[in-house]
Amino acid sequence: MIGDYFRKMAGTTQSPPRVGLAEITWSWLGAFLGIGLVAYLNETWVEPTDLVLLIGSLGASAVLVYGAIKSPLAQPRNLVGGHLISALVGVTAYKLLSPYPWLAGALAVATSIALMHATRTLHPPGGATALIFVMGSPKLHNLGYLYVIMPVGAGVILMLLVALLVNNLSHRRRYPEFWW
Amino acid sequence: MPENRKDGVKLPGGVELQDEDIYEAMKSIPGYLDITPGDFKEVYQLAYRHALERLSRDVTAREIMTREVVVVRPDTPLAEVAEIMGMQGISGVPVVDPSGQVVGVISAKDFLIHLGLAEPKNFMILVASCLKSQACVTLPIKQREAADLMSSPAVTVGPETSVKEIAAIFTAKGLNRVPVTDPEGRLLGLVSRADIVKAAMGGGAK
Repeated sequence: MIGDYFRKMAGTTQSPPRVGLAEITWSWLGAFLGIGLVAYLNETWVEPTDLVLLIGSLGASAVLVYGAIKSPLAQPRNLVGGHLISALVGVTAYKLLSPYPWLAGALAVATSIALMHATRTLHPPGGATALIFVMGSPKLHNLGYLYVIMPVGAGVILMLLVALLVNNLSHRRRYPEFWW
Repeated sequence: MPENRKDGVKLPGGVELQDEDIYEAMKSIPGYLDITPGDFKEVYQLAYRHALERLSRDVTAREIMTREVVVVRPDTPLAEVAEIMGMQGISGVPVVDPSGQVVGVISAKDFLIHLGLAEPKNFMILVASCLKSQACVTLPIKQREAADLMSSPAVTVGPETSVKEIAAIFTAKGLNRVPVTDPEGRLLGLVSRADIVKAAMGGGAK
């Protein structure tokens, strides 16, 4: 019994194979253009205002939507749904529990995962989107529920647009696997 | 079933699917596949089993049965029954009355049991007793007829009985063949273990 428990920690199989050079190159290009677009717009138009467009969890989404484009986690339903749901959860957790940041953060991430599972929108960067708001600067906190639309909604849509354009350029790549 | 993941998956023809086969297959697909070879194999294994179950549920006795069945009458002398089975190379025959009703089944096992052999009653014991004595075996059944030896009433199935149910009957009752009859009990065909194996190998309907 105890032996079985520890044996499970040894693993049972191997890591998937390394992708080819073409896949590495396309992943790099997609992420460069996707993050580049959002960061450029953020820097030139949005940063001087009270608004924000670029958040760290978009970097995590870039890994999926440009680097693992076949993954169910990387599909539009998951990218958009996962971020929006987690943003809502993050803002709500902060508003209810801001005197206890550790509790707000833990609840935000855990509840985001539960709701993404329940809605079939699991997207790992969503957990970061929820946590980023709880831990955020006063500028971010001042956004309140606007956080869901901008930066999260707008940033995610821009990332998705770049993914649709770049991931379908190669005849050996295709995105998405499914929309909904 | 994590404990099974190191084992290969059996495919038809005795081929075994190993982790490295899946690894090589994954390499030939461009793009990062978000699954481990072990998980893929588990999915494959379950999907394969599911397909087999679906097939055995769908295929019926009518589709796989042998239609030209050698039969005997209840009053056929046993010597003749044995000769027919021997010449045709079959190990069992349905016993059918003149109206076409299946009244029993005779198998080689029924002969062995009634030959007056010592235990265990199998073919090599028969050979041994023939080699040891001059009269071969005492034959208490020499002048008897099919009706005296047959297993009766016969276990039968209908034409729409699924292969899965027939396999379960074979296992539960220790049978190797079962007559297929219409609702009136008249013989339509015969399903043997070999017919089921053929169907599972992808032969499907004949």
